[in-house]
Amino acid sequence: MLSVMVVAATLFSVTTVMDSVETSIEKGTARLGADIMVVPAEAEAQAKTALLAGEPSTFYMDRSIEDKVRKVKGVKAVASQVFLKTAQYKCCSVGNMLLIGFDPKHDFTIMPWLSKELTRPLGTDEIIMGRGLTAYNVGSKIKFYGKYFEVVGMLEETGMKFIDNSVFMPYAAMKKLAEESKHKKGVKAANLPIDKISTVLVQVEPEISPQRVAIFIEHDIPGVKAIVSEQVISSVRKQLFVLLRSILSISIILWIMALLLIGVVFSMIVNERQREIGLLRAMGAKKSNIFRLIMTEASILSIMGGIVGIVLGGAFLYAFKGFIRSSLNIPYLWPSAAEYAVLVAGCLLLSFLTGAVAALWPAIRSMRMEPYEAIRRGE
Amino acid sequence: MIEVKELTKTYKVGSDIIKAVDHVNLEVKKGEFISILGHSGSGKTTLLSLIGGLTKPDSGTVRIDGTDIWSISDNDLSELRNRKINFIYQFASLIPTLNIIENVLVPTAFRPKDEPINYYEFAMELLDIVGIKDKARSYPAHLSGGQQRRAAIARAFINNPEIILADEPTGDLDEETEAEIMDLFKRMNKAKGITFIIVTHSSDLARQTEKRYRMANGILKEEA
Ligand SMILES: Nc1ncnc2c1ncn2[C@@H]1O[C@H](COP(=O)(O)OP(=O)(O)OP(=O)(O)O)[C@@H](O)[C@H]1O
Ligand SMILES: [Mg+2]
Repeated sequence: MLSVMVVAATLFSVTTVMDSVETSIEKGTARLGADIMVVPAEAEAQAKTALLAGEPSTFYMDRSIEDKVRKVKGVKAVASQVFLKTAQYKCCSVGNMLLIGFDPKHDFTIMPWLSKELTRPLGTDEIIMGRGLTAYNVGSKIKFYGKYFEVVGMLEETGMKFIDNSVFMPYAAMKKLAEESKHKKGVKAANLPIDKISTVLVQVEPEISPQRVAIFIEHDIPGVKAIVSEQVISSVRKQLFVLLRSILSISIILWIMALLLIGVVFSMIVNERQREIGLLRAMGAKKSNIFRLIMTEASILSIMGGIVGIVLGGAFLYAFKGFIRSSLNIPYLWPSAAEYAVLVAGCLLLSFLTGAVAALWPAIRSMRMEPYEAIRRGE
Repeated sequence: MIEVKELTKTYKVGSDIIKAVDHVNLEVKKGEFISILGHSGSGKTTLLSLIGGLTKPDSGTVRIDGTDIWSISDNDLSELRNRKINFIYQFASLIPTLNIIENVLVPTAFRPKDEPINYYEFAMELLDIVGIKDKARSYPAHLSGGQQRRAAIARAFINNPEIILADEPTGDLDEETEAEIMDLFKRMNKAKGITFIIVTHSSDLARQTEKRYRMANGILKEEA
């Protein structure tokens, strides 16, 4: 039972992590909604870390680039964003958050992911927040550069820190905020360059690959880097898969060892019970009755082991989720309830099978024994 | 009803060949009450196990109601054991993880599910007869050897067997209880026509039976 437990725990945690990483990456890409992110060439590394690790960072390029990108072959839609890192001020202005100014007219990356749809345009003192900023809620007030903003919408969790930990407002509101901050006494002026943008998010035509469009963009517009989100993500995914695959192969080895161990344990149990089995046979139990009895017992034991293992694995995941998140340094989402159910069921099935397979041999052996022999031997 | 012909069972222990049961012939009619007397190691338990279908003979036949029990399938033999035969063993034979009433009911677990008999009440009645009704919910480990033996005796009657094969059934009981149990056996023998084969090494006990056999070195002889 112990060994089934260990195996179930390992398998469960590994598959859960693997699955969550998958889901979060997939959701993250979908949420990002953009196939390509155009950034200043010199900001490529910064942008990639921002995208994956959510480090607030700012970089700027000329606003005219947006129109240039729009004209590139294969581009379906573009939306520009401006990043502004907030500065802390005494008690009242929240610092070191990434404000993202978006263009409500062209946006396809932010508004669709509001957890509750907003029917009216945002006012200049209203903001939308990522789900990662758990201290706030719809209705919360928050002060940036000495100005109060009200949270009017929250995005769903994307697992991409870049989105989850950011604050969104229309570009016009951001411009106004920067303007006002210059005249406020005792407030550090927002350092927002005029007529610049940080990134252009691109959606490509469905029949053309984002990779090709990225090449066109870089060819047509000097000084920019076109980051294909798929690529960033798949390179992370590759690293992760190598890691998880090694964990998985370790669990498979563990599983085989557990199988042998459980086999030995069960044959010991059956040996101990030989007398009982002989007695039951003498009282009219058929071979099939005995076989079923042993298999049922084995299954119950291993399912119990599996349940304990899953609980342990779950507890382990829960206890170390922060560590897992930060050490893998990737966006991370817990799988949905349905996916959990599938995982749990799968792990249970596996531990059940483990027990059943392991008990098969002792079950057959004890079934074959003559009752008299079994009774005598157990004496 | 029980017909044993030229029954032989040998064991190899190292290079020695032990003839535990040696060309035994025996006929027991329905409702007979017989005893087999013999020293330790004479082959009594082996003979009972052969008759009850617990171990296969090297040669010879056992017929119960005309059926050669070693020619039928294992499932049929199990069923025959369940319906017609019950054992009382020489040693403690209760299942330690079941309480006394559950132990008594074990043989009924292998009966067809649709039997209309209330076995539970019958089991309590039997426990009452052997005098341990108050121990119905106790576990074997909490009973004395004699009480365990009585529970095993109660169990022997639960499936209304036609034959009871009893291997030193009163081995660890005091004389008074021994007499009670023998009384019970005789009553059951008379009332229900149950056939008894009782193995013992007490000649006192043997004297109480209709027919006596003596076993020595695997050979069975009828006593005059
Ligand atoms: N499974 C076995 N393997 C080897 N030898 C056996 C086996 N069963 C019985 N014997 C031998 O066969 C002989 C008869 O044994 P059995 O148990 O039938 O004697 P018994 O008359 O019941 O003795 P007791 O009065 O001590 O119970 C003994 O010599 C015993 O050692
Ligand atoms: Mg014996």
